[in-house]
Amino acid sequence: METNNIPHVQARFFTKQPQFSVPSAPFSVQAQVGTCDLSSLINSLLNEGDGEKTNVDFDFLIDGEFLRLNLDKHLENKGISTESLVDIEYIEKQQAPEPEDSLVHDDWVSCVQGCKDCILSGCYDNTVRLWSVNGSPFLTIPGHSAPVKCVQWITDDDSTVKTFMSGSHDQTIHIWQWDCESNSVDCVAACRGHAGSVDCINVDHTKQRFCSGSWDKMLKLWSAECEAVEDEDEDGDIPHKRRKTSRRKVQTRVPILTLSGHNEGISAVEWIDTNQICTSSWDHTIKTWDLEQAEEISSLQGSKVFLDMSYSPLNRQIVTGSSDRHVRLWDPRSSDGALVKSIYTSHTGWVSSVCWSKTNEFLFISGSYDSVMKLWDTRSPKAPLYNMTGHDEKILAVDWSIPSSLLSGGADNHLKIFQYKE
Amino acid sequence: MGAEITTLGQVGYRINQYLKMDLFHDKSASESDEDTTDSEESVYSGLEEEPDTSDDEEEKNDDKSDSEDEDNSESDNEESDKENEIDNNTDDKDVNEEDTNTVNVAAKNKYNDKNNTRTTSQTVDDEYYHDSSDEEDIRNTVGNIPMEWYRDYPHIGYDVEGRKLIKPKKGDELDEFLQRMDNPDYWQTVTNKMTGQNVLLTKEDVSLIEGLMLQRTPGGAKETYEPWIDFFTHETMIHPVTNRPADKRSFIPSKYVGQMVHAIKMGWMKRSTDKKEKVDDDEPKYFMLWKDDEENEATRRYRANIPAPKAALPGHVESYNPPPEYLFTKEEEEAWLAQEPEERKINFIPKKYDSLRLVPAYSRFVKERFERCLDLYLCPRQQQTRMNINPEDLIPRLPKPKDLQPFPTQQAIIYKGHTDIVRCISADPTGQWLASGCDDETVKFWEVLTGRCMKTLKVSGTPRCIAWNPNPAICLCLVAVDQNLLVLNPGLGDKVLISNTDSMIQNIETTESAGKSPPLNWTVCEDEQYDEGYRFILSHPKEITHVSWHGKGDYFASVMPKADSKAVLIHQLSKQRSQNPFSKPKGLVQCVYFHPVRPFLFVATQRYIRVYNLLKQELTKKLMTSCRWVSSMSIHSGGDNLVIGSYDCKLTWFDLDLSTKPYQTLRHHKKAIRQVSFHKRYPLFASASDDGTVIVCHGMVYNDLLQNPLIVPVKVLHGHKITKDLGVIDCEFHPTQPWVFSSGADGTIRFRGLLEVPQPTDVSSLTLPASCYGTCCISRGLLEVPQPTDVSTLTLPASCYGTCCISRGLLEVPQPTDVSSLTLPASCYGTCCISRGLLEVPQPTDVSSLTLPASCYGTCCISRGLLEVPQPTDVSTLPFLLFIMVHAAAA
Repeated sequence: METNNIPHVQARFFTKQPQFSVPSAPFSVQAQVGTCDLSSLINSLLNEGDGEKTNVDFDFLIDGEFLRLNLDKHLENKGISTESLVDIEYIEKQQAPEPEDSLVHDDWVSCVQGCKDCILSGCYDNTVRLWSVNGSPFLTIPGHSAPVKCVQWITDDDSTVKTFMSGSHDQTIHIWQWDCESNSVDCVAACRGHAGSVDCINVDHTKQRFCSGSWDKMLKLWSAECEAVEDEDEDGDIPHKRRKTSRRKVQTRVPILTLSGHNEGISAVEWIDTNQICTSSWDHTIKTWDLEQAEEISSLQGSKVFLDMSYSPLNRQIVTGSSDRHVRLWDPRSSDGALVKSIYTSHTGWVSSVCWSKTNEFLFISGSYDSVMKLWDTRSPKAPLYNMTGHDEKILAVDWSIPSSLLSGGADNHLKIFQYKE
Repeated sequence: MGAEITTLGQVGYRINQYLKMDLFHDKSASESDEDTTDSEESVYSGLEEEPDTSDDEEEKNDDKSDSEDEDNSESDNEESDKENEIDNNTDDKDVNEEDTNTVNVAAKNKYNDKNNTRTTSQTVDDEYYHDSSDEEDIRNTVGNIPMEWYRDYPHIGYDVEGRKLIKPKKGDELDEFLQRMDNPDYWQTVTNKMTGQNVLLTKEDVSLIEGLMLQRTPGGAKETYEPWIDFFTHETMIHPVTNRPADKRSFIPSKYVGQMVHAIKMGWMKRSTDKKEKVDDDEPKYFMLWKDDEENEATRRYRANIPAPKAALPGHVESYNPPPEYLFTKEEEEAWLAQEPEERKINFIPKKYDSLRLVPAYSRFVKERFERCLDLYLCPRQQQTRMNINPEDLIPRLPKPKDLQPFPTQQAIIYKGHTDIVRCISADPTGQWLASGCDDETVKFWEVLTGRCMKTLKVSGTPRCIAWNPNPAICLCLVAVDQNLLVLNPGLGDKVLISNTDSMIQNIETTESAGKSPPLNWTVCEDEQYDEGYRFILSHPKEITHVSWHGKGDYFASVMPKADSKAVLIHQLSKQRSQNPFSKPKGLVQCVYFHPVRPFLFVATQRYIRVYNLLKQELTKKLMTSCRWVSSMSIHSGGDNLVIGSYDCKLTWFDLDLSTKPYQTLRHHKKAIRQVSFHKRYPLFASASDDGTVIVCHGMVYNDLLQNPLIVPVKVLHGHKITKDLGVIDCEFHPTQPWVFSSGADGTIRFRGLLEVPQPTDVSSLTLPASCYGTCCISRGLLEVPQPTDVSTLTLPASCYGTCCISRGLLEVPQPTDVSSLTLPASCYGTCCISRGLLEVPQPTDVSSLTLPASCYGTCCISRGLLEVPQPTDVSTLPFLLFIMVHAAAA
């Protein structure tokens, strides 16, 4: 009798992961089941067929949104009738990232980027540091005369000589060459031209050009070519190169192009394609620029200072962190009224940095002044997938360039590495 | 013959009488009955000589009808009916023919009538003359019966004698027709039903009938109503109504009147009016208690009826058999007796009787009636209209703070590093750097965005005031350290700017004024000091309390309140010189500011603000602050408005165009206001106070001169701890963003930005109880924490407000670690308790092991994964706890 009184929902389960497929016949499930119950249901269905036991946690998607509440509440919130047949997609549950390592710096970690098995971090003690993914330090590179604000790998291939660049409060961008084998680094070029601290740099897909944004409101385009690499290839002799570089003065570069248009400092710059870049600024706008025309294409008006922005080539969307507690998702192509596609709210402090996943179009991470890094799924707008605590101070930078590692650097002098499993 | 004469005279008289007045004919007839007999006899006897005429007539009658004959034949009888009498009369008349012709003529006519058709008029006259009865024709004695009853009989009734009255012979239809054709009087001939005889109506009869038919007066009076002659009209007529001459007395003076006038004149006689007055004086004066002087009684009662106060209805206490709880105990009775009669709640002792029959007469009846009368007498007699005004309507309607965004709401960054009271802060014009001076004798420069201390300068003394050059092209900073005014180049920001500034300073040509000795000397710093950033040191004779830049960044002013005549000095950077603009001290100068646009200088002394025109070198305005001691001043970027903070907790807004009196005074702070500050771009101003709060107000200045500034307090920012009775010492707005910096005695600089959710959603839509969301809800505007500090006014249970309440000082978290000492349930203290170690969030993973309900752990639990907001999965599967442990180990 009691079971009859409990409302039931007709549900059909399907999945895109063939190893977990179950019959497509609809099931009648109790309306107030949660993900746990559904997960055990799927598991029991899977276990029916063959002898071996599987016990996998699943997550459930209804109309492209994660089921986080009980089924009936979710349907009620979404306005879906419990009378009709509900199609529920299930996927294997995202595994929690695990803390892997914590790299101690001498000062605040202002910026971080990973590349294959190397991690580059900029520090407030005017140095750029190189680490292995395992946490062993390679190099500490002094060179800037002021705190480093941004770092960026130029090459991401497996060659032994890697190039990267760093921007600093001293208004310069330095391009560095690092020889993995000898573990030596050279400053190839110093890009001068900004009249404020260089807050963001980004290199394009061809690795030929990069652009930088600065507190002086200017967006500058530079050449990213490393002539020294060619020289080195010619010579092929490491001591010679050292000697040569020590002989040779650091090349000074000037910008190819300078774009002005922002009223305040530029906080982030991203390449959309080879000729389009996107910038976010303190003047509450996100602007898209065409480099061929050297002009502004479009502008998205926000209401807060943008502290960071990330563009995903997978889904062509932008997430921004701003001087409030929200992460906002924008679509730069849409020009209609509702510019903010959704707002992700869970942080309690300013969101200082955001970064899309390079492999999964739904996932991104955000770091905040509340010293928590959060892993988000765009399909779960109400709550993040995971919180990654550990920092004792503000998080200043997060990075997900290495698909298996979530990096975060903060004002507690630590760079934390979380291992991410697909 | 004498007798005959009399009879004749009598007859004549009778006839005359009849003709004149019908009314009396009955009486006269009765009177004259006896007489008539006598007279008739005499008459009859005397007039036998002339029967001829009558005989002739009789013959004719005979021809006509038998019945008539019979009547005639029996007409001699003296006691006969009227008919007979008529006959007799006719006889009489015949007899008296010679005497009265007129009567004769009439009689003759009658005779003729009798033969053919009888005229009613004359005959009836005779009939009724003798008979007083109203009965109709008594020739037939059947009475008033339907004559149809005699239809089948040959007779029609009976006469007085009892003889049958034979129906007159009725002609056939032909006779009838011939009658109609031939007889011209046919139309006025009617049949007497009683006798069956035809009667010819006379002209008078016809006219009478016609008059009746036309509803005219039957008597035939010409005019029923006489025309009205209005003799006594209201109009004054020139002629008297009567023609009577005036009386003599009307024009001869009365001797009595003259005597009375004389007596009045002499005072011997009192007039009646005088007497009345005298009587009035003697009588006691009464007045209406309830009467209004001016208004009519009736209308007043109708319009403003004040009902007399009603006596209260009796309750259970007054009952003869009250419920036992109303009966007095002994103590109560004693207490009642001990009380003054006026103080007693009830003026009797309740008593219980078994039945109503046993209730005695009420002894206090008369007294109570009297008291009731007193009540009525003393009750208010004037209606007082109660002001039914909603008190909220009296408060000026202010826009909601939500509509006035953006403004700083939440603490975003704390700049940590100072170890003592942070006296002063100043942001650089681009908004990238912040300079702060602290009692630990350091000046620190911070990166605004991250809260990173970029540079620390050790100074020899306490920095009292710090001011960044407002010109973005010059990178200089003024620091007032005790008696020295330091001009620093902090070396932050654009390198080019820094070097340009330095070169500009080096290129300054010092122009020594020959005449007057300058009030002080500029010391150019060199070597080590130069490398540290010092550029100039201006040694003042007394302690400097305040410095401020001119908007263009060339002039700056310093204030030394104790230096009397040198209280205010103005320095020019480009010429490296100083001057003393005021020769006489006008009071204890607190601070000076330059007008942002015009060459004005605002000098704030203890009580007044003086505005000087620097070009004309004169006082243009003096503002009365109405404060005891002005502490700070800030000028709106437009230059026409300024706010003043004072040590007596007042924040005063002046509109210079409006008046020299305050436009508005705000008393929101509980302690002395230390600093006030305007935002350069947004319509905001903030005030920092010793009560540990910064109050942000919306202060909109309109371009329209007619519209007064709109001032709305929008936010109270708590956070600074009060140490040494000092709260927030300084506050300043970010030059471009709606953010405010505040420095406190607790050695921190706090930075408030915007942490507002643009679209606050409904609390009811939250899936978990609101308390779990704690601080989040409040900061998103979902829960309102009222600005007044009373916890009891919170609409939701205090626990919902979590940390916010604590951070705003609404809830006190005691420093000692005992949870049990918390006055409110521990859940109210939310995250704070945990962060302070008052509540233990167990590292092991089981929520069930938590000693308090999970909601108490608020955000902490959620963030640690102990409470599952998003994913209701098994806690044990969550890996967070793992890495919490790892990091704990690492740390």
